[in-house]
Amino acid sequence: MVPDQKPLIYLNNAATSWPKPPRVLAAIAQSLSLPVFGSGRTTGTQGDDYLTLARDRLSMFLGGAPPEHLVFTHNATDSLNILISGFLAGKKEECHVLTTALDHNSVLRPLHEYEQQCRIRLDIIPFRDCSVSPDAVQASLKPDTCLVVMTHGSNVLGSVQDIRAIGEILHDHGIYFIVDGAQTAGHIPVDLKDLPVDAFVITGHKGLLGVPGIGGFFLRDPETIAPIRFGGTGTDSFSLLHPRGMPERFEIGTHNYPGLAALAAGVEFLNETGLATIMEKAEKQTLFLIRELKKEENIMIYDEHPDLPIIAFNIKGVQNDDVGFVLARGFNIIARTGLHCAPLLHKAIDGGEGCVRISPSWFTTDEECRLAADAIREIARNADSTVGQA
Amino acid sequence: MRILRSVRHKVCADGSFMKEFLLDSPVSAEFFRYLGTFGHVESLHRVGEGFYKFEKPDWFSIKGFAGDTTVEVRFKKEVMDLTVDFVYSLFSSFREGNVDLSSLKQREQAIGERVRKRLYGT
Repeated sequence: MVPDQKPLIYLNNAATSWPKPPRVLAAIAQSLSLPVFGSGRTTGTQGDDYLTLARDRLSMFLGGAPPEHLVFTHNATDSLNILISGFLAGKKEECHVLTTALDHNSVLRPLHEYEQQCRIRLDIIPFRDCSVSPDAVQASLKPDTCLVVMTHGSNVLGSVQDIRAIGEILHDHGIYFIVDGAQTAGHIPVDLKDLPVDAFVITGHKGLLGVPGIGGFFLRDPETIAPIRFGGTGTDSFSLLHPRGMPERFEIGTHNYPGLAALAAGVEFLNETGLATIMEKAEKQTLFLIRELKKEENIMIYDEHPDLPIIAFNIKGVQNDDVGFVLARGFNIIARTGLHCAPLLHKAIDGGEGCVRISPSWFTTDEECRLAADAIREIARNADSTVGQA
Repeated sequence: MRILRSVRHKVCADGSFMKEFLLDSPVSAEFFRYLGTFGHVESLHRVGEGFYKFEKPDWFSIKGFAGDTTVEVRFKKEVMDLTVDFVYSLFSSFREGNVDLSSLKQREQAIGERVRKRLYGT
């Protein structure tokens, strides 16, 4: 096989979106073409203020949340660590924490670390029909539940959770609510002014069309999260205590200016294209792919009605990893296989074996979807041969 | 057939260590049938030129397409130091037609004992 002769079809956008809009690449180049402008860190006035540009543009995109309440980090995992650790730093006694079986290791691992340290008691809320219901959350609450951390959109099943209803229940009980929006920001409307969440986590390199290395979170009340990292901010430099104002409270060291430039350009692209238009195309392509895969009886699709452009499947008789290998080497189609950093979810849907995930983006063409569906079906139709055994 | 060099490597999600090897000639269906003497081979032989996977549990797996000059080898990390040379031997010993496997079988047995002892203490 010489897959180089076939055009590359990239269907791993739920991991990192690709390609990027040309303006994103141009913005990165532009950001590095002049000395960086960082307030308090240079006498130069060359270059754009990418930090302010990205903060303003992203906060508007996320429903007009106060820009200073939007904190930039390295990625979603970094954000979740800051939020979880910062929240628990303010707790003197052990408390009860909830998350869900849909969640990513970016949530599960920090919480399990604190459980190991006897700082929290952790319960996992199971999902049903690809979702965690508000009733299931309500039923899992204990008198000392202090925190719920959960995903907004499953990175495997593509199901969006009803965080509004869940957030209302939690706030009625005075429980802090952190939502991981890594898979939803840039894919569906998110109105942070309106949603009953205390913190909402984003990453720049997926639906927001930026590049790896930039992420962030929205924080409604800064006093609820203690800063856990300290250092230079370029502000209030005579004080040996770290500034407590926003966003310096959580932003330390020199920023990722090319990442911020890319993120600002990515959000600009989303604004100009329109989320409604993007969602319409994503839904059409997702439905097409699911319809095509369902034509083969030995293809198991784990969510036939995803809310996001994410399709998880297995082919009976072929390991998911082998399907990924054949797609990549035989057809030049890039997917993702394995556990997708969501071990509890996979334990529930496939016994922990993992699956194949394909995830188109705005830049995926209908023809690419057709070719991908044909390739997967071809593998499925040939999934029963054995040539030898020792 | 010879392994020229390793062109890529990574630690996989299942904890195995993957190396992609560049070969001096393409692998064939016959090569994978020959590997079947030492383990289990599965194929999707009607997909493209044919996808093949050789598995030697507790040692390594080898995946590739017939006609390709690269293969992916996944080692069980805990015993990789014991088994990696055997991968090179499997490739260098392969000839089209009849191959004398007696010396390879002897090595397989000797390494197998060390692998079992390391993994299971027996």
